[in-house]
Amino acid sequence: MLRKSIWTALSLLLAATLLLTACGPKEAPAPVEEPAATEAPAAATEAPAPAPAEEITIRWRTRPDNQAEIDVYQKASDAIDAKLEGIKLVYEPGGSESSSYQDVLKTEIAAGTAPDVFWIPGTDIADFASRGLILNLNDLAAATEGFSVDDFYPAPMAHLTHNLETGAEGANSGALWGLPRDVSTFVLYLNLDLINEAGAPDPRQLAAEGKWDWEAFKDVATKVRALGPDVYGYGANAWWGPYGVWMNAAGGGFYNADRTACGLDSEGSIAGLAFQRDLYVGDNPVAVPYGEDSEPPFMAGRVAMFQNGRWATPGVRANANFNWDAVELPKGPSGHMGNWLFWGAYVINANTQHPEEAWKLLQELTTAETQGMISELGTNIPSRVSDEAINAFLTFTPPDNNQAFINGLMDMPTAEGPLWAGSWPEFVAVMDPAIASLMTGKTTIDEFKASICAEANKAFK
Amino acid sequence: MAKPEIDNRTHFLLRLAFVWHIALTIGLLGGIVPLWQAGKMAVWLRLLLTIVMLTGGLASTLAAIFIRRGEHRGRVISLVINYLGFLFCFLGTLHVLGVFLGIDALAETFPRGIPYLGGIFAGYLVSAFGDRYENFPKRQQAFRRAGKIIMGIFGLLFLLAIRTLPGLLALIKRYNSLPPYLLTAGAILFGVMVWVLWRKDSANALKANNAHEEMLNGLLFLSPNLLGFLLFFAAPLLLSFYFSFTNYDATTKVSDWVGLKNYISLLNLTIAPLSSPAQPATEVLNTKIYDELTRITLFGRGFIIGAQDKLFWIALRNTVVFCLLAVPLSVIPALLLANLLNSKLPGMKFFRAIYFLPSVAAVVGVALIWQWLYNAAVGYINYSIVSVINFINNIFGFAIADPQIRWLSDTRTALLAVVIMSAWQWIGFDTVLFLAGMQNISKEIYEAATVDGASKWAQFTKITIPLLAPTTFFVVTTAIINALQLFEQVYVLINTEPPGGPANSTISLVLYLYVKGFQRFQQGYASAVAWVLFVVIFSVTLLQYRRQRGGTYA
Repeated sequence: MLRKSIWTALSLLLAATLLLTACGPKEAPAPVEEPAATEAPAAATEAPAPAPAEEITIRWRTRPDNQAEIDVYQKASDAIDAKLEGIKLVYEPGGSESSSYQDVLKTEIAAGTAPDVFWIPGTDIADFASRGLILNLNDLAAATEGFSVDDFYPAPMAHLTHNLETGAEGANSGALWGLPRDVSTFVLYLNLDLINEAGAPDPRQLAAEGKWDWEAFKDVATKVRALGPDVYGYGANAWWGPYGVWMNAAGGGFYNADRTACGLDSEGSIAGLAFQRDLYVGDNPVAVPYGEDSEPPFMAGRVAMFQNGRWATPGVRANANFNWDAVELPKGPSGHMGNWLFWGAYVINANTQHPEEAWKLLQELTTAETQGMISELGTNIPSRVSDEAINAFLTFTPPDNNQAFINGLMDMPTAEGPLWAGSWPEFVAVMDPAIASLMTGKTTIDEFKASICAEANKAFK
Repeated sequence: MAKPEIDNRTHFLLRLAFVWHIALTIGLLGGIVPLWQAGKMAVWLRLLLTIVMLTGGLASTLAAIFIRRGEHRGRVISLVINYLGFLFCFLGTLHVLGVFLGIDALAETFPRGIPYLGGIFAGYLVSAFGDRYENFPKRQQAFRRAGKIIMGIFGLLFLLAIRTLPGLLALIKRYNSLPPYLLTAGAILFGVMVWVLWRKDSANALKANNAHEEMLNGLLFLSPNLLGFLLFFAAPLLLSFYFSFTNYDATTKVSDWVGLKNYISLLNLTIAPLSSPAQPATEVLNTKIYDELTRITLFGRGFIIGAQDKLFWIALRNTVVFCLLAVPLSVIPALLLANLLNSKLPGMKFFRAIYFLPSVAAVVGVALIWQWLYNAAVGYINYSIVSVINFINNIFGFAIADPQIRWLSDTRTALLAVVIMSAWQWIGFDTVLFLAGMQNISKEIYEAATVDGASKWAQFTKITIPLLAPTTFFVVTTAIINALQLFEQVYVLINTEPPGGPANSTISLVLYLYVKGFQRFQQGYASAVAWVLFVVIFSVTLLQYRRQRGGTYA
């Protein structure tokens, strides 16, 4: 009887304590160990102050690609946490690009468990804003002394200030959906050993002389391709970014001029696609077959020019066992390289209980100091327009030719754009398979041109 | 039967139960009207609550009537209602207090208390040790007291270590609005009424017999599983059926009734004659509604088939093709392999384990490895093909060209790559099932066949295969169901954005459902896809079942 009572009491105690523990506050995260480096920002080295009783907890999330990025974001979070009085920050690293970051985030939003502040890619801004999932920060920004949207690159800010009702953009549009975390552009990562072996001219030299155009690009690619059946002149992964630049560089693009209808069948777009198709399935194909992941063969030293963004730099630094550098994209018939200005933004959950505190965090996450800390990884170009930030970025070598990224920024890049007049996911779901068919030779340019916009225009409202 | 004697207390409690059920009936039925007048609430939720309140109200009325009549079924109904009500209010209280979101805190702080649980156990052992001294009461008492003190101290340390006090304070602080108070009061009321009706005196008063008690005990033990099934399987299933008639979007909470629109959009096809094989679709189809799905030639004349939702039909075709290839490719080798492994050669258990390994491995890990193997430029499969071709060319002087198969990026081979990987992974599991089936076949039959001069092949085809019919039915049916639910293999192995590339050549029905439901948040439409898939799977399984009963497998 006694044993039964003891066990009953113990079981009830356990159940009750489990319940109460689940109700209790989480343990404060252990402070991140500081590296031995002396240049660590001062704020990060200070021991966190004891937490006041009435602290407001703000959860925030961004999309890291590896543990090194997670550590840096955690370090930034701790530094901001120490700076913001009355706010306790909880950094939650989201899944990587290949781990369905957006899918998980949207599911959490639907369930009401999403963080207060989170990062989303530029293309998703319209979808999130028009569904009412993120806060319009215009009033908070207007009440903030010293804040100006002009401190950031104008192209992302044009989208981030898009007014859903009036269509106005800019500082006085009445809308502000978030602040850009960073920007990036495409470059061609070069395997200099392969290029030398093929006797092809150095693309960096050609770019410096103003001779780096499509013809020169194809010449280098063709010479390298002649080295063997398993050596390729060019490689890029199969998504809208790489194929979009060829259209942009030929004067075309995904949409018409006011972004209200499909522009994939325009003269410029078709010219760009025709040039790119020739690289894959022309008489003398020079590229890694379309759809194949180009990164492994590039890392294995079999691709001369690998098109990718700044985010690929850490991987190339870590894995390339050959002489490598970067060069800007070649200029197309339009006289420009047609580069993208990739960006993503920190936004505030529309259901946050603490919009003002979340806004403070948003500003802190985009200060020059925080962006500088994160830029040290080499993955990001700061989103603030500042010579100081760019100069700091240029020092993070290799690659030696960091200027290639900056040149991409300066040559009228097209901002990675949300589709305010339609649904970007629906549009890309039509465009991507059609272009895959085109690049693998399954359909011809004429067939593509005849049908693509009839289907793609259904993605517009 | 003699009327049971009822004491005053029981009489009072049963009257209380009667009054409670009358009040509950009024509350539930009367609450339906305000429910429909309430402000923002999804229609499906209103409907669901209405059904629950109506059923609960009517059941409560019956409970009141039968309790009044002194019939035992009144007790049964009352216990069921009050038990469910108690669970609803108790779990609802935990929910509004945010307990279910505190799992992280539990995981972080609870382990700190585990060593102290060891101390409590030690105290218990000390206490139990006293039982050895039954003839020395003082010593026995001392041990028991010492054990209790140890348990008390460690219990206290345990509570401190797992931060019970802050938890308790946090819990109290969360009682800051009406819902937690209402739900807690509800839990207490329902709990009390369960106790009222569960009492032995109440049971006797309502003429309970042993069979009644056993039934109630059985229901109580069954309830966790039954409620779990109803809440987490049956209810979502029915809800998804309802959602398939709406434009439900979980992020915006929009859920308007659209009737059969989702199903019509999914299944809407058109066919039009072509004046020439190359005639553009824009000339013959209403491209505002339809996209070109395919072109066919019938009786020498070309036709174009258009679909309102082209991707659905492509996904259906891919799923069926995958099923037709992957099922025989996994089942037939598995049957042969099981036959090989069904021998008593040394080391056979090792081989059985080896062949079963791929089935145990996670699909994600397997897919990532195959992704590397399939890489067209640096993958081992193409490397092996090239090596073999070079070997043959060198030895025989042939000039066979390297086929340069682009496994994952060519629309002609991508689905095949998924088939190969899936079949490879499924073979082990099917083999084990066949092996189990074969080991159930009586040895005497084979011995008799051997005496009659039957060859090994004849034994396999005339004895093994027919007698394996039930196993084959199970293996084939589950393999088909698995194949029709193709998802992870494509999602991880192909890993394109949008999923199902290249050029939609690997998109499956479940993947399409995922894209619609979790990437575009068209949950209503995705539910319709799910129900069409259900109909497909159900039809195929029914057909299999009929064939099996008809003796095809026997």
